[in-house]
Amino acid sequence: MGVGHELPPVVGMAAAPSLTNLARVGFLDLSGARELLVSNGFDSEWFTVAASADNALRWLSRLADSSRAFLDEVLTVPEHRAALIRVLGVSDGLAEFLVRKPSALDRVIPPESLPTEADYRDAFSGAESADDIRLCYREHLVTIASWDLSQQDASSIVHLVGAALADLAGAVLDAALQLAKDKVDAPANIKDNTVLTIVGMGKAGARELNYVSDVDVIFVCDARGIDSNDAVDVATKWARSIVATVSEPSLEPALWELDTNLRPEGAKGALVRTLESHVAYYERWAENWEFQAMLKARPMAGDTALGRDYLAALSDVVWSSSAREGFVESVQKMRERVTENIPADLRDVQIKLGPGGLRDVEFTVQLLQLVHGKDDETVRVRDTLTAITRLSEGGYIGRTEAHSFSRHYRELRVLEHRVQLLALRRTHLMPRDSELLRVIARASGLAETSEALLTRWNDIKRDVRSLHQRLFYRPLLSAVANLGEDTISLSSVQAEARLSASGFRDAAGALRHIAALTAGISRSASIQRNLLPVLLHWMSEGTDPDGGLAAFRTISDSLGDSPWYLRMLRDSVGAAQRLSRVLSVSRYAAILIERVPDAVAWLDDDENLRPRTRATLMEEFGAIDSRHDNVEDAAKAVRFARRRELLRVALAVVLDLIDIEQTGIALSDIATATIDAAIRLARRGIDGIEFAVIAMGRFGGQELGFSSDTDVVWVFRDTGAGDFAHQSAEKIVQSVTRLTEDMRFPLGLDAGLRPEGKNGPLVRSLEAYRAYYAQWSDIWETQALIRATPVAGDPALLAAFDEMADGVRYTTEISDEGIREIRRIKARVETERLPFGVDPSRHTKLGRGSLSDVEWLVQLLQLQHGPGNATVRSPSTLEALAAEIASGVVAEADGAALRDAWLLSSRIRSATTLFTGKGSDVVPLDRLALEGIARLLAYPAGRGADLENDYLRVTRQSRQVFERIFYPG
Amino acid sequence: MEKQQEFVLRTIEERGVKFVRLWFTDVSGTLKNVALAPAEVEGAFAEGLGVDGSSVEGLTRVYEADVLLHPDPTTFQVLPWRGQVDPTARMFCDITTPDGQAAATDPRYVLRRALAKAAEKGFTFYTHPEIEFYLFKDNNQENPVPVDEAGYFDNVPGGTAHDFRRNAVRHLEDLGISVEFSHHEAGPGQNEIDLRYADALTTADNIQTFRTVVKEAAIEQGVYATFMPKPLANHPGSGMHTHMSLFEGDSNAFYDASKPYQLSTIGRQFIAGILTHAHEITAVTNQFVNSYKRLWGGGEAPPFITWGHNNTSALVRVPMYKPGKEQSVRIEYRGLDAAANPYLAYALLLSAGMKGIDEGYELAPEAEGDIASLTATERRALGYRPLPENLHRALHYMEESELVAETLGEQVFNFFIRNKQAEWNAYGRQVTPWELDTNFRQL
Repeated sequence: MGVGHELPPVVGMAAAPSLTNLARVGFLDLSGARELLVSNGFDSEWFTVAASADNALRWLSRLADSSRAFLDEVLTVPEHRAALIRVLGVSDGLAEFLVRKPSALDRVIPPESLPTEADYRDAFSGAESADDIRLCYREHLVTIASWDLSQQDASSIVHLVGAALADLAGAVLDAALQLAKDKVDAPANIKDNTVLTIVGMGKAGARELNYVSDVDVIFVCDARGIDSNDAVDVATKWARSIVATVSEPSLEPALWELDTNLRPEGAKGALVRTLESHVAYYERWAENWEFQAMLKARPMAGDTALGRDYLAALSDVVWSSSAREGFVESVQKMRERVTENIPADLRDVQIKLGPGGLRDVEFTVQLLQLVHGKDDETVRVRDTLTAITRLSEGGYIGRTEAHSFSRHYRELRVLEHRVQLLALRRTHLMPRDSELLRVIARASGLAETSEALLTRWNDIKRDVRSLHQRLFYRPLLSAVANLGEDTISLSSVQAEARLSASGFRDAAGALRHIAALTAGISRSASIQRNLLPVLLHWMSEGTDPDGGLAAFRTISDSLGDSPWYLRMLRDSVGAAQRLSRVLSVSRYAAILIERVPDAVAWLDDDENLRPRTRATLMEEFGAIDSRHDNVEDAAKAVRFARRRELLRVALAVVLDLIDIEQTGIALSDIATATIDAAIRLARRGIDGIEFAVIAMGRFGGQELGFSSDTDVVWVFRDTGAGDFAHQSAEKIVQSVTRLTEDMRFPLGLDAGLRPEGKNGPLVRSLEAYRAYYAQWSDIWETQALIRATPVAGDPALLAAFDEMADGVRYTTEISDEGIREIRRIKARVETERLPFGVDPSRHTKLGRGSLSDVEWLVQLLQLQHGPGNATVRSPSTLEALAAEIASGVVAEADGAALRDAWLLSSRIRSATTLFTGKGSDVVPLDRLALEGIARLLAYPAGRGADLENDYLRVTRQSRQVFERIFYPG
Repeated sequence: MEKQQEFVLRTIEERGVKFVRLWFTDVSGTLKNVALAPAEVEGAFAEGLGVDGSSVEGLTRVYEADVLLHPDPTTFQVLPWRGQVDPTARMFCDITTPDGQAAATDPRYVLRRALAKAAEKGFTFYTHPEIEFYLFKDNNQENPVPVDEAGYFDNVPGGTAHDFRRNAVRHLEDLGISVEFSHHEAGPGQNEIDLRYADALTTADNIQTFRTVVKEAAIEQGVYATFMPKPLANHPGSGMHTHMSLFEGDSNAFYDASKPYQLSTIGRQFIAGILTHAHEITAVTNQFVNSYKRLWGGGEAPPFITWGHNNTSALVRVPMYKPGKEQSVRIEYRGLDAAANPYLAYALLLSAGMKGIDEGYELAPEAEGDIASLTATERRALGYRPLPENLHRALHYMEESELVAETLGEQVFNFFIRNKQAEWNAYGRQVTPWELDTNFRQL
């Protein structure tokens, strides 16, 4: 402890001390202190023991003014005086009480050890009113605080203080019950035959009470040979009277909130129930959290025999609760309560809630108790510190960890006690004021200065934050591997119980993966043993932890002992966390990583997760041609490169590094580079023609999704092949299609948008296209040309095609007949192309207000306005729409509705593929898939229905705009 | 709640209940029920009762068949009309999907959600409906014959209607539904029974119960009761005028002693909200082709979007304030008919009114005198817009309404429009007796 303990003797009038000396003692207001010291005749050296010398002096002076006689008695004994100064230096709350009630000044004399429960009960025996009880309580509170503050190491005795406070509260309740029995009017035979027990819950039940906190209780009564309704009636009156004695306003202020809301049915339920009614409730109706609350139940006042019966009756239901349905969900909700709902501006000063707070420790410890207490009675204890010890003795957590967390928990509790002592308020917030922090630092013995205290506290928080995975997940490994270094050994049943509790659906399977990953004495196994606990924790936060773990095992198997892999997982927290997340939320990415395991290395560096530019991709994919003599080998290399780049984009999306527009561009660039490389390979040995590919549809707009078809038009030009030119071009098309074929991640080359569609020749010469468009062209073919974008092949031919396309698409304004035709085709497509039985409002491509509605509308307006307005001539839907809004063709609000629908449809399509691993055009009905997609789109857990409603809303609104403009009248 | 569940299980034992009917309402407002043996009730409380939702109109998307019914124990009642032979009880249910989320398509949830939204702003919504219906000698729809020829407030001594009303009122009170007043309405065989003020969810449950009770009581008397909005072309239709008020805690938010008619600014804004959105919500408050024959069929039905102080020709009436009765300051919406789905209709009336409060809508001047007697031009000059003239127009307005979509939720909204559009289309295909009468011989 940082404050001095040598006790200077009492002196009379002291000479005025030097300011330097006062500073050494610990005063902050030096000249003020000197004045008070001199005028009261106090010795400055007395105050070396005070956490705040200034406060202590101020209060001591006030006591000297008002109650010199009582004060002098205390001041004459150095030990007593020091005790008083310690209390006054910390607690304004207790100091106020002593000023109000100076006869209690001798209560500061610290006893050798704290009184027992029986001592407290005796102390209250003469109490005749609520005020008597409250005064008596506060007098004993002074003694407890004084004893606490006089100890060398507060954190080593914090449990004794908590127990004493709970015992004192129990004595209050007993005294209040006695008072109630005297006061409440009822027939003697009913009073005599009614027994009431007050069961403490929470910290009161666990005998780990704070200086100021709510005392949670439940009232249980029993009728001895009388009608149980009569007993409940009189017991309810007693209970109300007890609540009033403790909490209602009176001359002497109320003590604390007596909180009865943990009772069956909460605030709505009966205040008092019989034992049978309690048992029936817990057997039938109780929610999971209510069992968790019962963990700490302890009869703390009233009839002891009834209390024992109560505990005996409920013990079994409580301890079998982890086998109940919904346990996992309720645990997750509990955990959410630990980390959420803290106002952001108070997060950094929370001792109790928030990451690294007391609740973190309590949550983990209680969860372990519930999981293992089912089969092991030794862990069935109420208070957190004993629970940590028992869990460690039972081998459920490591000894080192148990020791360190027990210490942290004690230190956090001491901080909480000191903060509450300041003003005797129920608070769990560290003050921001540095003077108050200094008082807490010195009073807790944890540091000398405010800065040092904050540093120490932050260290504790950091350590506690990793507690959950270290206590909860780490011991899982002992079920499958001999850790050698510790004494823990879980059985596989125990380990599976833990895995199920954290959201793994196939716990046995998960355990097998863990076993395989950590088996043996290899370096990788030993690193995995260290890593897995935290990885499992992260995976359990994803929507598919089982899938994540399975994929992680596959990757680890294939990367084996690659030094970089293990080193990266070990040294880069960010990369390991990202890997766990990606694998447990995206099946698509997981499948790709299994095939391109080296990609794990990218996770360490955002630069590697940025999609490559088109130029870089073209260069790299193109170079494959020159490296391989064998076309098939080269094609394989191209396909592999494509998968690798798809993965890069998938990772960027899952990790929220790029948005949907960037995704479309990136995927289109990959398709372009792939086709370009394939054309090079396909052209080997073919001369005398130019060849090129024109991107159409979403590919032309650079808006490809993960499972889009790649729409193209092929074109060639004879440069000497003569009669063989067309045949050669067809050969190239066939080769490109074959060489790029990937069954698992199809490129989906589709030339359906060419002139005459499926009935037209697969490839034509530029001249043939020119002639066709000049003579025959249907309006839909012109419409398709809006998005025609030259992408790969001979540059001269690409430019020539583009020029020809310009001549078709934007030369003359579309005729009324053309507009009518487009409307008719769209109307037919709406009914014909939608698969049978699909709800149109859920189809993201052809459905009500989704992609195709928006795109058709944008394109119709492009055909109408493009000839006169070059700005709207973009192949990209969003660019064209923006230009149409900017030039007033589409109203701002209408444009926003269309854009929102297009974006959300595209994002849902993307997330669907990422979550399920395969594409789908329908917003899923399956709740699990809906949840997975919603989570990828940053919705909070359990809000899949919100995504559904949002999608239906934006597409409905977009459809309204579409119908108004596209089908007017 | 759990105590209520225990109470239910005990009562089943004590009263020897043989069947428990679980009641819920589909999107169209039809009451559905599933009968349970007493032994199954405890399980239904604990886990819900799985039913195939695809067989219930609008309840789920066809392909997602299973939903769970969760009986609400506070609605437990032993049904009186089954007598002591085979005691039967009923409970209303909330509906969830198998993963425990409230079913978006449960009308009761739609109302709960609207009430919760109002509660966030500190308001509780109370309603009090006056339900009209006709009694016919039998259920012959070709030639419906009313049970009597009486008129408004006529006392028909010893008439069927008299016995019927006594039975119905007794049944209702046995079911814990307080009946405020009952009298004979304007048409032959027409009756009105008023339910007492209650929060809107209870009222909606009560209306559903009421319809069943009335039909059962009629059967006991050997007659037939119908809530069809306009069963007889030449007599008034059956409305469900509903009195509404908002409470903040114990005080009536519509009351302000200093304002005209003692109606507070909140009350005026609430009316303004309802009037502004009246045409959008009409497809729900008047949901059948036949509903519009009542609205536009003269009599007391109010087809123009107006409000007035004690004006029975206005769509919203502000009843006369009785001194000292500040708790009962309220407004009355007269557009609703007796065949509306009460859950959806009340959810929309509340949301429209709340919108008026949230956006601080200004209330147009009140309408004085008999609006029906004005000429069309006069009404236009005064700015009295009409309600939609038929279901088709009403659906059109509804389709454009963000307020309705948001209140009903996208799925109920979709289903409702599809379902009602189909009804309109089917109606359009009919050749009616009137057409035959006027055209067949002449052409």
